[in-house]
Amino acid sequence: MKTAITHHREAAFSMTKLRLKFPGEETLLFKDLSFSVRKGEKVLLLGPSGCGKSTLLQVASGIVPNSFELPMKAEALELPDSWGFVFQDPDTQFCMPYVDEELAFVLENLNVPREEMQVLIVASLERVGLHLTDLHTPILELSQGMKQRLALASVLLMEPEVLFLDEPSALLDPEGTKQIWTSIQAATAEQTVVIVEHKIEQIAEWIDRVVLFTDDGKIAADGPPDSIFKDYKEELIRYGIWYPGVWDDYLNSKVFKTLSENRSSTSTVEVLHAEEFNGYRGKKSVIHVPSASIRQGSWVTILGENGSGKSSLLLSLMQLLKTSGALQVNGEPIVQKKRRKTLPAGLSLVFQNPELQFVTNSITDELTISLMSVSSTEANHHAEEMIELFNLPVSGNRHPYQLSVGQKRRLSVATALTSSTDILLLDEPTFGQDARNTFGMLEKLESLRRNGMTIVMVTHDLEIASHFATDIWTVSDGELVSCTRKGGVADARLVYA
Amino acid sequence: MPAWFTPNRETWLFRVNPALKFMIFVLLLLFTLFTRNLAFVSWLAVLFGILLYGFSGYPIRKLALLSIPLIISFASSAFTMMLFGKGDTVIWQWGLFKISEESIQHGLLLGTKSLTFGFVGFTFLLTVQPVLFFYAMMQQFRLPSKYAYSFIASIRLLPVVVEEIQVRSNALKVRGITFSRGMKGWGERIQAYAVPLFAQSIRRAQRIAIAMEAKQYQMGAARTYFYPTSYSRMDVVFIGVISVSIASVSMVAFVMN
Repeated sequence: MKTAITHHREAAFSMTKLRLKFPGEETLLFKDLSFSVRKGEKVLLLGPSGCGKSTLLQVASGIVPNSFELPMKAEALELPDSWGFVFQDPDTQFCMPYVDEELAFVLENLNVPREEMQVLIVASLERVGLHLTDLHTPILELSQGMKQRLALASVLLMEPEVLFLDEPSALLDPEGTKQIWTSIQAATAEQTVVIVEHKIEQIAEWIDRVVLFTDDGKIAADGPPDSIFKDYKEELIRYGIWYPGVWDDYLNSKVFKTLSENRSSTSTVEVLHAEEFNGYRGKKSVIHVPSASIRQGSWVTILGENGSGKSSLLLSLMQLLKTSGALQVNGEPIVQKKRRKTLPAGLSLVFQNPELQFVTNSITDELTISLMSVSSTEANHHAEEMIELFNLPVSGNRHPYQLSVGQKRRLSVATALTSSTDILLLDEPTFGQDARNTFGMLEKLESLRRNGMTIVMVTHDLEIASHFATDIWTVSDGELVSCTRKGGVADARLVYA
Repeated sequence: MPAWFTPNRETWLFRVNPALKFMIFVLLLLFTLFTRNLAFVSWLAVLFGILLYGFSGYPIRKLALLSIPLIISFASSAFTMMLFGKGDTVIWQWGLFKISEESIQHGLLLGTKSLTFGFVGFTFLLTVQPVLFFYAMMQQFRLPSKYAYSFIASIRLLPVVVEEIQVRSNALKVRGITFSRGMKGWGERIQAYAVPLFAQSIRRAQRIAIAMEAKQYQMGAARTYFYPTSYSRMDVVFIGVISVSIASVSMVAFVMN
């Protein structure tokens, strides 16, 4: 018993007076940071984006500087003997095409004999609750949540003492988020776990300790979750953390109250109408709309499971897929063409990945390129307006790629707003964003809507659907199954189920 | 797309050690490259045509479709050489065009060689599983594991890149970007696609590399293999078939001449 306690008191890893900087940056990311974690502890690191939390995980695991070199020094650095790392992006963690091959890759690295592999592979999948009928399943066919559980299974094969989790649920939908945290909690009771994550609702009860960082890489607070969540709420809001109850606080905030006050009811003018409308990939119909219409100034959220056809619906409306059936935009019927050079006027679409939508080398150029017909002073004026409206860096000369994640998203929405845009289609514009950027985006969209814009948005977030939407559409299995007007919370749950 | 590349039946060619198959096919290609005997190369083309159409396990319809570019390359290289090649025994001349006996000979040789390359290449690609090929290269030919796994990882990423090209193309349409006609337009297109796609790919590659090292992959370290590959009786059969065919083709081509 006694040994067990002392064992527990030992540090899993520790660092004393760590100094580190990114090449080309003037200031140090960490200046004399000391930090340690006890064995078996479950620690959550919180802080604004760019404060160095992820880098700290990489230093603690030795990825920095072993795999990725950064100028750093420390008075003392005690790293764990064995560790596992689960990264944020489910699509860049695997090097093999199949589930069993990926798990075997780890075992090969550990020099495990071939005869023992099968049993270990089965056991590791069992441990994370990933039940597959065939182990030889292409990783491509797994949902994002399943991929993250596979990533967890593969690192558990190394029997790590310490598990580092760098925003493992940031890019997952609510279902996937629940799955990965359930798996982590069930599988890592014994291990030391260090987590960086903004979405913390699922784990707030489970963790032992929260460390709160400031913008300049210092530790602002370090203690049990309850007291941190209570005493540092202002920082949590400022840093955009999805802490438990963040939506309740937002709904009670002044900003939201002003937004929801006399929310103008939408007009009765139909801006879009579809009847027996189909979108095709190849010869296969991927989305069928029996009948639907959108009134001007409404905010339609499209809900549905992954792969149900939500994105295809947007692409079809935009005429980027082959379509059939009747579609009217602003009263004008859209003629389906086989190869079209120009897209229907009045519609604009914002894709998920902002970088794939940028076409120029500066923010200002991005905002003015579609305004060929107006004078350059007018175009620049439009750009300045957009920069202000979307909180973009005032110097419009910055390259779009140099912006922060949230800024890139906002710029991609701003670029879609030309003078001719009446209906704005958005594919999960708040996906993977922190709370502050999410609310910021929603407020921007709401102000556009008040000025007469019609918003059509795919999302997984039921809170958004219930508090911002005027209409909720549900897509299931390639079919638009319901269009509900004015959704409250109950409505949203109902149509999503 | 991968479904399209699933054969109807797995023939004996699939059971040959993929690394050995690769080495032998490379040898055959070199062999073809340096031969100047038209009869011999033509027989080789027939031989590999039989191998591809008869023993790859794919339906004729798919193989015929795949053969279209081969026929085109055969025709284009043969005709170019015939019309513009050097030669003294002129048969027909008109302006820049000059057909001679030698140029016909060279044209046919060049065309047949490209046809043979195509047949050999497809026979290999259609009857090999990439992952097994790299495992065999590591085990039978000591290919350093870092190359093998980077190739495997990049194959895995191909569909992702294809999808990104689609998204980029749609996004450019949405942004109202149009391209000039002709060569200038192609330059603009390459620029519009290359930068964002490279940026995504480089980032992805770096992340995967770090993830692989985090899974304790070490270059040059001893490792076991999930797919143990070895030589089998089928390899002997394969070498036998190839040697006998080459020998008989040589007989026909050289001795009969």
